[in-house]
Amino acid sequence: MNGSIIGKTTQIRGNVRGTGPVEVEGRVEGDVSTDSSVVLAEGAVVRGNVSGTTLRIAGTVAGDLTASEALLLEPGARVVGDLVAPRIGVAEGALVKGAVRTEGMAAAPRAMSRPSAARRVEPTAKEAPPRAERATPPAKPAERAAASPASSPSAAKRRSRPSQQTAAKPPPTPPAKRFARKPPPPVVPALAKGTRGRKKKAKRK
Amino acid sequence: MAGTVIGEGLTIEGEVVTEEEVVVNGTVRGTLSSADAVSVGAGGVVEADIQASALSVAGQVTGNVNAQDRIDIQAGGRLVGDVKAARLTIADGASFKGNVDMEV
Repeated sequence: MNGSIIGKTTQIRGNVRGTGPVEVEGRVEGDVSTDSSVVLAEGAVVRGNVSGTTLRIAGTVAGDLTASEALLLEPGARVVGDLVAPRIGVAEGALVKGAVRTEGMAAAPRAMSRPSAARRVEPTAKEAPPRAERATPPAKPAERAAASPASSPSAAKRRSRPSQQTAAKPPPTPPAKRFARKPPPPVVPALAKGTRGRKKKAKRK
Repeated sequence: MAGTVIGEGLTIEGEVVTEEEVVVNGTVRGTLSSADAVSVGAGGVVEADIQASALSVAGQVTGNVNAQDRIDIQAGGRLVGDVKAARLTIADGASFKGNVDMEV
């Protein structure tokens, strides 16, 4: 076994540095640095800087955390200090006081930023419909009830659209969006396609 | 499973205080104090005064050692410093330089 473990009752006053994975369950008053992973278990306390490739923190740190690959704060983690890593994860229940910077390797943060950006967009899309509900006339809810058991979202769209055209169009996001569970595609083309198709059908008939 | 393991390649400079077993395969400089046993592996280097219930040396130790129970210097082990313990064994092939106090 090559790894190092600072046990639960162990207190170190001084620096811990070197190679190989390090797991801290006890207390270190000094820096912890390695060229491998560092795990701070629940109950672990480090008063000093911690650096490694990947850090998983569930304990307490008063000092800066620097990871060359990833930094994960688990529930129960308490950190007073700066966080620097290409990838940083903070779980719910983790306390952080300090600056957070995702930097380092170029490829990793870009790949991570895309899904996080998508996540940021989603809540606003969810927030939008209630506003639209308020704006639309009171006849809507009954119609929504009729449309919701529909097998496919496209069917729901078709049913809801005529009323949409007759109703006032103040909300920028159409109410039909409510029935689409998937992230909504660009609104305008979808509208144009549907209306054209309906017009053609009407012409044929 | 030992409570605290100082792995190969790891260096601790300072004071280590613990109540559990310690295995040193890396390097410790300063002081090392344990309420349980301390063992220094073949690749371990300790340049520190050691306080422990028992000490087993297969690596290198430089410093004074105080053990409540026993000190074992194994073959290939090297201990430089004064030792104080109730029992002491020095294996064939071990090197030792220092004074021994066995509280006769």
